[in-house]
Amino acid sequence: MTLIDFTNLLVSALLLAGIYAVMSVGMTVIYGVMKIVNLAHAGFMMLGAYFALELFQRFRIDPIIAALLAFPVLFFLGAAVHWVLVRRLPRSDEPTLPSLLLMFGLWLVLQNLGYLIWGNTDRSIFTPRTLSVVNLGPISISTVRLAVFIAAVGCLLLLEVILHYTWFGRSVRALIQNRYAALLTGVYEDRTAGIAFGLGIGFAGLAGGLLGSLYSFDPDFGRPFLIRAFVIIVLGGLESISGVAIGALVLALVETFSILFVPAGYQLAISFGLLALALIVLPGGIASLLAKVRRVA
Amino acid sequence: MSATSATLPARRMAGWAITALPWILLAILAALPLLVPSPNFTRLLFMTFLWTTTSIAWNLLGGFAGQVSFGFAVFYGAGAYTTALLMNAGVNPLFAFLAAGLTAALVSLIVGLPAFRLRGPYFAIATIGISEAVRVVMTNLSFTGGASGYRILEHRPFRQLEHYYTALLLAAIAFAISWKIAHSKFGLGLKAIRQDEDAAADLGVNPYTYKLAAHALAAALTGMAGGVFARYAAFIHPSGVFGFHTSVHILLMPVIGGIGTVWGPVLGGFVFGIVEEEIVASFPEIHLLLYGLLLIVIILFEPGGILGGLRKLVRRFRDHR
Repeated sequence: MTLIDFTNLLVSALLLAGIYAVMSVGMTVIYGVMKIVNLAHAGFMMLGAYFALELFQRFRIDPIIAALLAFPVLFFLGAAVHWVLVRRLPRSDEPTLPSLLLMFGLWLVLQNLGYLIWGNTDRSIFTPRTLSVVNLGPISISTVRLAVFIAAVGCLLLLEVILHYTWFGRSVRALIQNRYAALLTGVYEDRTAGIAFGLGIGFAGLAGGLLGSLYSFDPDFGRPFLIRAFVIIVLGGLESISGVAIGALVLALVETFSILFVPAGYQLAISFGLLALALIVLPGGIASLLAKVRRVA
Repeated sequence: MSATSATLPARRMAGWAITALPWILLAILAALPLLVPSPNFTRLLFMTFLWTTTSIAWNLLGGFAGQVSFGFAVFYGAGAYTTALLMNAGVNPLFAFLAAGLTAALVSLIVGLPAFRLRGPYFAIATIGISEAVRVVMTNLSFTGGASGYRILEHRPFRQLEHYYTALLLAAIAFAISWKIAHSKFGLGLKAIRQDEDAAADLGVNPYTYKLAAHALAAALTGMAGGVFARYAAFIHPSGVFGFHTSVHILLMPVIGGIGTVWGPVLGGFVFGIVEEEIVASFPEIHLLLYGLLLIVIILFEPGGILGGLRKLVRRFRDHR
């Protein structure tokens, strides 16, 4: 492998990491605030992808912009789902069996609504941008991947700003750190959780819309990405937003470079292997490892 | 005074009835295909027994021990393929079924040894990943025919009743195991783990080995059910036996019937088996949608499932009397 090949792979891994981070961050927010493992994430990603497709086909809206528009729509959908269903779950400090099963049922419903509405044929979003390439000297970058990456990183930065500089963001972080202490200081849990859930679902829709520009999809589209998102949030330590970025980068690097050694069909098995490894060696995620290193230093 | 003396024998009667019920049910089910000699009806019951077996098996781990798994298709498929390969190599079906159970149990250890180092949600997540990875591998594996499936050639005349009684026996064994566990120290240990893993560990229950044991037992039963199915179907393919919908079905039944109880999974298995085998034929495109809605409704309104609902009704009826 030449240095140029290596750089090419590195760049594509980095671009992949951006979309992976967006797809996982919603799950982290929901898990952190409510301790719910959102299995329905895949279903909402699917909705985001079809939303972008419909806007693109019907109104000729640029698919990247359509994906950004999916965010507010799915935000309200998520807040509604929280109000109607999730709010009624028993509160707990760790994920409960009912919450897993409820989100799983919701996933089944979304996925099969997708089949009813859009059928089971593979769809894809194809624009002139899809095949074009930006050349930076010897390194070539797919334009659509670059656009997706920029949109993804922009939204992640926006989320960071919201979480750090608004009262809502402070409540979210307080709930993630210690629910009881947060309640004592007057955080209004129901409302914060509702908005956080909407935010998580909004990010799922955004990620789905962006992924729709990169890959073909059908109503069952989110499942492999759901597993990747799990790997990423576990690597990231479940509750940490910056951990998600690191986890996404690690997974993207491993997946991209593993193509050199194993057939692409087995990529998901690699994600899973990484998950098993992370769970056994690093149950606290990479963030805990870094914290340990920092403490020693 | 008279009220208590009246209820005591009544209670004892109820106790007897509950002990006798499985035997009566078994006798009825054993006689049924002879009384109603319809191949379609026999097939329906046959499939229902297999579904019930997997339902009871899932409940051992998911109900008693509270470890939700979305990956039981792995064991079902492993059992199916083991049986298929062995039968084509000329092994007696009975041994092939036992080997299927053994293989599935081994697979459960491979899954469980890393996954049970983690608690609840991690395990559930890991099982989705495992079943996905296994399906991908099986779809690409060449010696089992890959995605195009695998055929079993049996050089014996097809006798439906033989299959029927095999499935009935398997379901009965599964029920007996579940019953025994529910009334044993092992079962209490599992229930303790479900309620509070740390407290259970403090009381001398090793959650790791208990969960592994329950997982292996459940996998063995599921694997055997897969094996019996493979022999009946004579053709299996990865997206069927290893399919995600198989895992979904296996998980749904105990939830519908009443999670963590002895009779709930049986009830769920029967309701689901009959509904599934009848509905799939007529509305294949919406049945998973219905199951999803059902799951949501049950979790939000009656987490005890059908059995929990019935118990509530009985209690209300008794209070009003």
